[in-house]
Amino acid sequence: MSGKTILIVDDDQYLQLGLTARLKSNGYRAISAGDGATAIALARSESPDLIILDLGLPAGDGFLFLERVKGLADVGATPVIVLSARDPAGNKKRALDAGALAFFQKPPDNYEFLAAIRLALGETIALSTFLKT
Amino acid sequence: MIPMGTEGVNASDGSTPAAGMPSYDGKAEHDESRTNLSPRVTASLMDLEAWAEILATYGRTMRVAVALTDPQGHLLGECHNKQPLWSLVRETKSPWGAGCPFCISTYPSCASVKEALQSGKTMMARDMAGLTHVAVPLVLGGQPLGAIIAGQVFDRYPEPLLVRHVAKAFGVSAQQLWDVARKQRPVSSSVLQASGDLLCALGHAFLEQRYGKILEAKLSASNGRFRLLVEGVKDHALFTIDSTGYVNSWNYGAERLLDCVEAEIIGRHFCCMFTADSMLNLVPEKHLQRALQAGLAEYEGWCVTGTQKQFWANVSITPLLEDPRSGRGFAIIIQDVTQRRKIAVALEAARQERTRLQENFLSHVSHELRTPLTAIYFFTTNVLDGLLGDLTPRQREHLTFALDNVKQLRNMVSDLLDITRVATHKLTLEPQLVSPVKLVADVLSTCRTNAAARNISLRSIAAPSLPFVWADPARVRQILINLIDNGIKFTPNSGVITVEARLLAGDGGFVCVSVSDTGCGISPENCEIVFDRLAQVKSVAETSRSGLGLGLFISRELVSRHGGRIWVESQLGHGSTFYFTIPVFSLAKLCAPVFAAPTFKEGLVSLIAVDMVTIAGTAREGILLEIHRVLERCIHAGQDVVLPPMTDVGPVETFFVLASADASGSAVIATRISRELKSFDNAAKLNLEVSSTTIPVAPGHSREDQIKEVTVRVEQLIQSHFSAKKRLK
Repeated sequence: MSGKTILIVDDDQYLQLGLTARLKSNGYRAISAGDGATAIALARSESPDLIILDLGLPAGDGFLFLERVKGLADVGATPVIVLSARDPAGNKKRALDAGALAFFQKPPDNYEFLAAIRLALGETIALSTFLKT
Repeated sequence: MIPMGTEGVNASDGSTPAAGMPSYDGKAEHDESRTNLSPRVTASLMDLEAWAEILATYGRTMRVAVALTDPQGHLLGECHNKQPLWSLVRETKSPWGAGCPFCISTYPSCASVKEALQSGKTMMARDMAGLTHVAVPLVLGGQPLGAIIAGQVFDRYPEPLLVRHVAKAFGVSAQQLWDVARKQRPVSSSVLQASGDLLCALGHAFLEQRYGKILEAKLSASNGRFRLLVEGVKDHALFTIDSTGYVNSWNYGAERLLDCVEAEIIGRHFCCMFTADSMLNLVPEKHLQRALQAGLAEYEGWCVTGTQKQFWANVSITPLLEDPRSGRGFAIIIQDVTQRRKIAVALEAARQERTRLQENFLSHVSHELRTPLTAIYFFTTNVLDGLLGDLTPRQREHLTFALDNVKQLRNMVSDLLDITRVATHKLTLEPQLVSPVKLVADVLSTCRTNAAARNISLRSIAAPSLPFVWADPARVRQILINLIDNGIKFTPNSGVITVEARLLAGDGGFVCVSVSDTGCGISPENCEIVFDRLAQVKSVAETSRSGLGLGLFISRELVSRHGGRIWVESQLGHGSTFYFTIPVFSLAKLCAPVFAAPTFKEGLVSLIAVDMVTIAGTAREGILLEIHRVLERCIHAGQDVVLPPMTDVGPVETFFVLASADASGSAVIATRISRELKSFDNAAKLNLEVSSTTIPVAPGHSREDQIKEVTVRVEQLIQSHFSAKKRLK
């Protein structure tokens, strides 16, 4: 158990709940925010190791959050994985260009998603063991 | 008895017609327009009243009888200046129907008119009694109209014996006949012949004159009618221009439509009717040129009226090639179709708006469905994976069913989005260099679980030597999974599904992938429609749930976006085989900038390989994209090329750069790459290795050969690079 902290930024409470359970079972600490402003405050106070970001957020979308967070000295380096219901066409490139490490469309495949989390956290590079077995 | 019969003038007394005497066989002045004289024109040309004066005068002057005949030699109208002997025999005794009207004996039979028309020459004939006549053919434009015959005279002093003979034959008193014959003045055959030639010239001059008059009358009538027609057209501008574009006629419609009276426009260049924009683009000139080449140019575009109002016009231009007065020129018809265009534009806007709304709606629906779907997915998998404690086998089974349905729902939502992309032409591909063998193997491992659940065996045939294809791997995977899932759906338990990849027979430019099943098959009429939107074979749809019926439609779109083709071959009851083709990757196409570089011809090119460890998971794409960008920064854009990521091709991640550089030049690029990639986030973990090889370009070879040699060498180097890495691994 690494005990690393992951911040979930998503306005859907069910998603927060379901994903938190999955992350916890993999040894991570999960915290959640339902909008961008709360998320930034939480990121600064908790210094998470990774941010999982939805693009459709109330009061300023995920892209705005990405732009803000990347501009902050203290949390700007935190890796971000986007998990959105939006169409990857267009959004994926835009998110990666804005500094996200990966783009997943909802619903993601649990194993691929966790592999990306580990990679983003620098825990592993070759995660071939997680690949469709 | 002196049977003389009919003879040509020349033969009758050895004299020849004057040199330059016209021959009216029609060949000399054969004229296309005259070959088909209408019956009305012919009748008018042979009008008896018109001929009466000339014939009467001629007969009186020459002291011969003269008359018109039809082409068969039958008399037309009356005979002028009838001669006494002929009158006595032919008018007092009942005349016979057939035969020459100017002969008084039927022997020898006389066909002078027919012969004259056939030969085109004046023919002379003498009957048994010694009465002589000439037949003059009347021919216009090669068409025989009839003849003039003149004569009923003796060409020498009459012979009493012959006269008595005739008197006996006709039951006339020989004395009476002789008295009449004796008083008739003979006309020598040479005079008769000369007068025949004169008659021939006279007759044709008259014909020509009469024909000219008929034509003139016709022309002026049709001109008048045409003028009325053109003038009367109000909704179309009809006008003509000369070959240089200057207006030389203008109708009422043009006046109305283009707001410009005839007096103002005649002599002005017709480009004043075009917008400044189309004049800049030489639109008028181009269309005139096209009209000259094709015989007609039609187009739609903006026109400008004399009061500077614009309207959308349908313009048709016809070249006038045969106007002898104005030379070449053009007839132009312009019609105002602004209203029609407005409607068309409005319709198109409405259609686009509807498509946009539909797309927005569908993408909204798809987005909104995904959110709850994700929550369901997470909770189901959380429970299934035992995050909340152990499950009984029955609970596990039921949750697995739930998860299967979640996945099915997810695919449908994806299809919905794809279908809107097809409608709005937003279905984009991100093609890469892909190994079809690896792709097939990957997809098969994905589909194996599904197949196993139905006890269906999944086989694949793919030669490892197949060339790479240029395709979007995610999309090809989608096509293949769709085809295999369909196969599984329609194949009974314990069936077989075979996936095969091979080079397309007869065209090495494509790889053909086929998916065959041992299912129920598809009827020929359904083979035609399975790829249509929302097409589903009825009887099959009832047997199982089969999604939205969009899969094959989307597959067809995806294949065609790749530049390939998809089709199905099937026999009811014997399974189906779906085929699709994907273009083989062409290194030469991709390396074009290197080949076009000025240094290429006799220099060196270098292949630089950048190796790193395999990156797994979906973050891989982001990292590879980032590395690709770094490499693009390191090269000389426009003359070096970063080859696309070789997805699923090698045991390691390798980027290749083809540079227009020799060994030292490529060393510079290699150093730059190493330095730039060092600053990359996970550089240490990536285990980067940069190496380069130079490839000489053989001097003196043709450019095509040089390109071929270099691409072959690059391919070999890439292959051997991967096999070396494989061995190391």
